[in-house]
Amino acid sequence: MSDFVEQCRSEWRRLGVPDSLAEEMAADLASDLGEAEADGVSAEELLGSDPRSFAASLAAERGILPAAPSPGKVRRRPFVLVAFTAIAALVLIFAARALLAGQPKATLVTNLSGTLGHRLPSTAPFPFAPPSGPQRVFDLGNLSAPVEWILLFFAIVALGFAVWLWANWSRSRPPSVPSA
Amino acid sequence: MRDKGVGATMRDMVVGSQRRTELLRGVLDLCLLAVMNEEPAYGYEMTKRLRERGLAIVGEGSIYPLLGRLERDGLVETYRAASNGGPMRKYYRPSSAGRLALAMGVSEWRAARDAVDAVLAPVKVEVIHE
Repeated sequence: MSDFVEQCRSEWRRLGVPDSLAEEMAADLASDLGEAEADGVSAEELLGSDPRSFAASLAAERGILPAAPSPGKVRRRPFVLVAFTAIAALVLIFAARALLAGQPKATLVTNLSGTLGHRLPSTAPFPFAPPSGPQRVFDLGNLSAPVEWILLFFAIVALGFAVWLWANWSRSRPPSVPSA
Repeated sequence: MRDKGVGATMRDMVVGSQRRTELLRGVLDLCLLAVMNEEPAYGYEMTKRLRERGLAIVGEGSIYPLLGRLERDGLVETYRAASNGGPMRKYYRPSSAGRLALAMGVSEWRAARDAVDAVLAPVKVEVIHE
């Protein structure tokens, strides 16, 4: 089977043309191309230079493409994608700025001689803490560094996911179908 | 000056070719119906018959989508048969709706052709290339 027919078959598969119809059209094209080549007529002369466009045009004219999504769905998906991408970008910027500012707000510290309790930005001990022994103190004054790293990590992952979604969305858009 | 003249001639040839393509595009469905009305034919066979009659610009994928449209619109019927001992081919012939469309289309074409002829036939232009 010629490369032209293979590319048509691939395009029909991508467009969701039922396999039986795609096979039928591919077999018809292959027969015609075989006879044309025996007559000295190239595939390009007979069918044009763009197999994908030709295949899309043939399927569209025969009316065998699956129903297109409604205009509402077509509009909604980019809107959701735009919103998702924008939120991920904002979180990334926020986390990066907070980290660059270098002002951590909370972290876990160990206080060998102190008491277990929450110390708010001041170092005052928690009033109802147990009386003695080496304990860990949860110091909100240093806790934000890991939180911002986590935000940064999730923002990068989300942006990567958004790029993948955009790539999929652009690939799934049907090519322009030339008029006959 | 000579280069300019050659360039203009080439441009005129391209424009002329585009015009013929556009003119044919408007009546190619009629030509296909007419060819298969004479005798059922498969895709490449129709291309050959049209080329034999001077429509050499047929090709480049133009007739296959058009055959698909005619089939979708119910203007042609199809069946499968072996061609001269070769593989099974998809043959096309006009349906009754297709024959009606052909008759009406031919009538429209003749009316349009006569009207255009009435304007263009008397034209006599001498072209002098400098």
